[in-house]
Amino acid sequence: MGRLKTFTRRAFLIGSTAVAGGVAFGAYAVGKPHANPLLDGLGDNEAALTPYVRIDGDGVTLITPRADKGQGAYSVQAALIAEELDVELDQIKVDPGPPAPAYWNRAFAEEGAAFMAPGDGIANWMTHGALSAAIKTMGMQVTGGSTTVPDGFVKLRQAGAAARETLKLAAAQKTGVAAGELKTQAGQVMLPDGTSIPYSDLATIAADIEPPQDTALRDPSEWRLIGKPMQRVDIVPKSTGTLNYGVDYKIDGMVHATIVLNPAQIGPMNSFDASEALKMRGIKAVVPVTGGVGVVANNTWRAFQAARAIEFDWGPAPFPAAMEDHWQALAESFNDDAIDSRKRDDGNVEHAFAETAGLISAEFRAPYLAHAPLEPISAIVRIDEDGAEIWTGTQIPRFIQNNVGKITGLDPDQVKVHVLYMGGSFGHRLEDEVVKQATEIAMQMKGTPVKLTYSREEDMVHDFPRQIAMARMRGSVRDGKVEAYDLGISMPSVVASQMARQGLSVPGPDSMIVAGAWDQPFAIPNLRVTGYRAPELAPISSWRAVGASSNGFFYNAGLDELIHAAGADPLEERLRLCNIPEARKALEAVAEMSGWDGVLGDGRGRGVALTQSFGVHCAEVIEVTNTDAGIKIDKAYVAAEVGTVIDPVNFDNLVKGGVIFGLGHAMNCEITYTDGIADQDNFHVFEGMRMHQCPVIEVRGLENGSRTLGIGEPPVPPAAPALAAAIFAATGIRLREMPFHKFVDFA
Amino acid sequence: MKTTTIAAILSAALFALSPSAATAETGSGGVVNEFADGSVTREEGLTNWQTYYEVASHPRCSNCHVGASNQPMWTGPSYGASLGKARPHGMNVNAGESRIGVETLMCSTCHTTLSGPDPDANAEPHAAPRVAGAWQLAPVEAEWFGKSSSYVCNQLRDPERNGDRSIREVAEHLDHDVILHWAWNPGGGREPAPHSLQMAMDALMKWAAAGTPCPAE
Amino acid sequence: MKISVNGQTRDVDVEPDMPLLWVLRDELGITGVKYGCGIAQCGACTVHVDGLAVRSCQLRVGDLDGEVTTIEGLGTPDALHAVQAAWIEHQVAQCGYCQSGQIMAAAALLDTNDNPSDDDIDAVMSANLCRCGTYPRIREAIKSAATSLRSV
Repeated sequence: MGRLKTFTRRAFLIGSTAVAGGVAFGAYAVGKPHANPLLDGLGDNEAALTPYVRIDGDGVTLITPRADKGQGAYSVQAALIAEELDVELDQIKVDPGPPAPAYWNRAFAEEGAAFMAPGDGIANWMTHGALSAAIKTMGMQVTGGSTTVPDGFVKLRQAGAAARETLKLAAAQKTGVAAGELKTQAGQVMLPDGTSIPYSDLATIAADIEPPQDTALRDPSEWRLIGKPMQRVDIVPKSTGTLNYGVDYKIDGMVHATIVLNPAQIGPMNSFDASEALKMRGIKAVVPVTGGVGVVANNTWRAFQAARAIEFDWGPAPFPAAMEDHWQALAESFNDDAIDSRKRDDGNVEHAFAETAGLISAEFRAPYLAHAPLEPISAIVRIDEDGAEIWTGTQIPRFIQNNVGKITGLDPDQVKVHVLYMGGSFGHRLEDEVVKQATEIAMQMKGTPVKLTYSREEDMVHDFPRQIAMARMRGSVRDGKVEAYDLGISMPSVVASQMARQGLSVPGPDSMIVAGAWDQPFAIPNLRVTGYRAPELAPISSWRAVGASSNGFFYNAGLDELIHAAGADPLEERLRLCNIPEARKALEAVAEMSGWDGVLGDGRGRGVALTQSFGVHCAEVIEVTNTDAGIKIDKAYVAAEVGTVIDPVNFDNLVKGGVIFGLGHAMNCEITYTDGIADQDNFHVFEGMRMHQCPVIEVRGLENGSRTLGIGEPPVPPAAPALAAAIFAATGIRLREMPFHKFVDFA
Repeated sequence: MKTTTIAAILSAALFALSPSAATAETGSGGVVNEFADGSVTREEGLTNWQTYYEVASHPRCSNCHVGASNQPMWTGPSYGASLGKARPHGMNVNAGESRIGVETLMCSTCHTTLSGPDPDANAEPHAAPRVAGAWQLAPVEAEWFGKSSSYVCNQLRDPERNGDRSIREVAEHLDHDVILHWAWNPGGGREPAPHSLQMAMDALMKWAAAGTPCPAE
Repeated sequence: MKISVNGQTRDVDVEPDMPLLWVLRDELGITGVKYGCGIAQCGACTVHVDGLAVRSCQLRVGDLDGEVTTIEGLGTPDALHAVQAAWIEHQVAQCGYCQSGQIMAAAALLDTNDNPSDDDIDAVMSANLCRCGTYPRIREAIKSAATSLRSV
């Protein structure tokens, strides 16, 4: 732990190396400063002022290494840098930058979005072999776990401040005016006489200046950008069809490829016959890849067509053929030998149960779910003798360098990765199978850029879905209050499945099995939360909110059954039990926003849920009406505690989107397997929410907490249980399994 | 653009509302076989009606023979069969009183119009079916979805509710309407309507020859 | 064959059964029109043919009869269509991948109904899928665009 604290205190390390007329100095929190990756390729009159700021004659480019999957990460990162650098958002360009250790995600490692629970010290994990190696060697340049804001909130402002002060020193050198008398504004250094020098004119001088290391960050009262509505940097191109997503990207000489994989997930290909496909117009080659073939053509559609003309002999999937066997494996894992963690054991649930006459019990289920971002996954790969170049939308560029290195025999440093805009992800692009497959194809046609585009069907069927999960609860009530709650959750380990694909084995318990359940802000006198690790079934991956996406439903739905048995009001009893002030304020906020005053009646119902995930306490109230056409979701009220709302517009958009995402999947989405083959292959059977089903959503960002937190994931977990509770209130139907459309219709 | 657009929509709508010109007319190669009045017994007539009702009530046909809700239905293994029930067409689709979506979303937005007959045009599973004519709902009077044999039988023999057609004209309509032909060649792994177009036409004509008997409720 | 796209006549040498979507994207390099599902379930590929919204993944180029307008032909960053301007004003997009289709569907709606009710919006826009969940902003942006179009 001590070592890490040292890193943190030294969080503002500066390295300075003059290269080709430019300079780089940086702010990054690691033991040994990682090289500033921007120094490679700097031209004359260019300066890389920290790994996050690059200045040339044309202006200022801010490097935003957390990938933008649509959550506005580029804009938020740019705003944090610009706040201190004193540039306006319409003056700068953003660039995700190259994969580099300098861009490692400290919050990801510390908060352990995907790897551990808050409270586990990073030192414990740093000393563990595999993950430690991963963090060190890969730099953990990962986008995920709602960590872009917590990771960057201080670091990026420090980078902006360091660059600003250096530019002032450069201006002082150029003009002879003392740096203390200089001010900065809108991309210029302002001199006392009223004249100004654009930053771009100072790059060459700045290159030779040792940057100051101890610039204090501005007081929040001085913020120009943070907390105020901003125009996203990508909003004009995204509204005019002019943004190049990964799937739109073109490289000269590029061929269009698609893939056919064994429909039985990760099953082997025994043989194939492409003779008919090869006769089709525009088809250049059909080549084997791991688990299937790549079809190379001069047009994506021609590749799709030819893919259907190939005959295959497939092997079986290496997991149970029937869905009931998946559920059976989860059910059988509720035993002491399979206990993965018991992180909460307050009071004594067994004593409480021995004294109650009315033990309450229930079982809950959450299905596999596809990520299904609207842009299907794609990658362009060109392999040359001395290097590889990759263009793709990804959350894990450093893993890609490593994996392409392994396939090609190249050194990872010879693998250049360009991170492109992504049409959504929801965790899908934390996997890099598409890049590995494109690399396998490109290895068979060296020198030719190969663009591999998945069809929607291949994308959905071969997604590594959200974990399947089951929960069993027992509980008791006394005197109108919840007395005891024993919640067991069984699921396979997402982390184990995901990291195994990167060749890593992660020791110890997987806190995702109990995330969103063990650490909730309710002081139930007797409370036990146990995670049971089910055997690996179908391969699974991180899906928006990961463990909490299923467990937020389990925890709240179980609690609701107890509150109902106690005859208490779902919101009042949660408030009574709540023992964290920030969580209480979130509950009070949704109570006020919704005018909560008990039952609605007349075929209407309301439900409430609160889940703490990724440190954010997010409360939601959902109101529904039971109509002739089915359940209509009328309103949603959301309050989330994030410390500081950086951009209220983007915050509002992300929260609403998270609620819609949570509701839509709870309503009607699941992935089921028959003989290892996903039964759902497109949006006709994986519908999600549509415009006419979308409730009016009111959002409130709360800023009572001391930590600034991300909002990409936390609105998702409470949506399903609040909906289930509202439907129960309106219809008397208790929903214990998602998706709910198996039991009720939706209008 | 606006004027042109509206004109296009209106002309499409008028086209659709005229029953005889509902879609591009292309004979299927079927034959309207004549059966003399009285040559078919009432019992045989009822049997032939049942044959026709098996066609009419099949989802391939009845999904678009819906009532005043103007909402087409989805039925089939991929559209809710796992839930054991039919359901309205996804995406909140409603064809409006025009039955082609003029007031809402034109059916042809997704169900595009072929430039000519093509038996292979609907090979793509789950894509929007298309024919060489404007995709649309059947007239509201011809509500078949979920309706009993007796109800559909009485509707079909009632000129007030069958477009003022003789049964022969109904049979000719079957022969001419390319959407109906699609029902027997739906492509994409969809289950076709039972029997065949010719059998359906013959069943209608025999039913007519028997005096259009209808089963009791 | 010759097709007319965004006011230009383009010559393409393709099979008549290639969907217009892929002619635009891979043959003509017009990538504002997006591939999302290929089966008319998502609407990301929506273009106008003679002003009417059409899913270009469902329209075989050989069946095309009319002038095609894509998002690039609707308006540009320097000359925005009212719907695009409203999309920017309301900052509708998250990932933005569906938004070309949403904008084209909304523009077609407003072309025939300059004051759509919530039900009118639901009737048209429910056929366009947004996985990020930007529906509330889409609704507001359509209303803003309607207001500005009515004032023209």
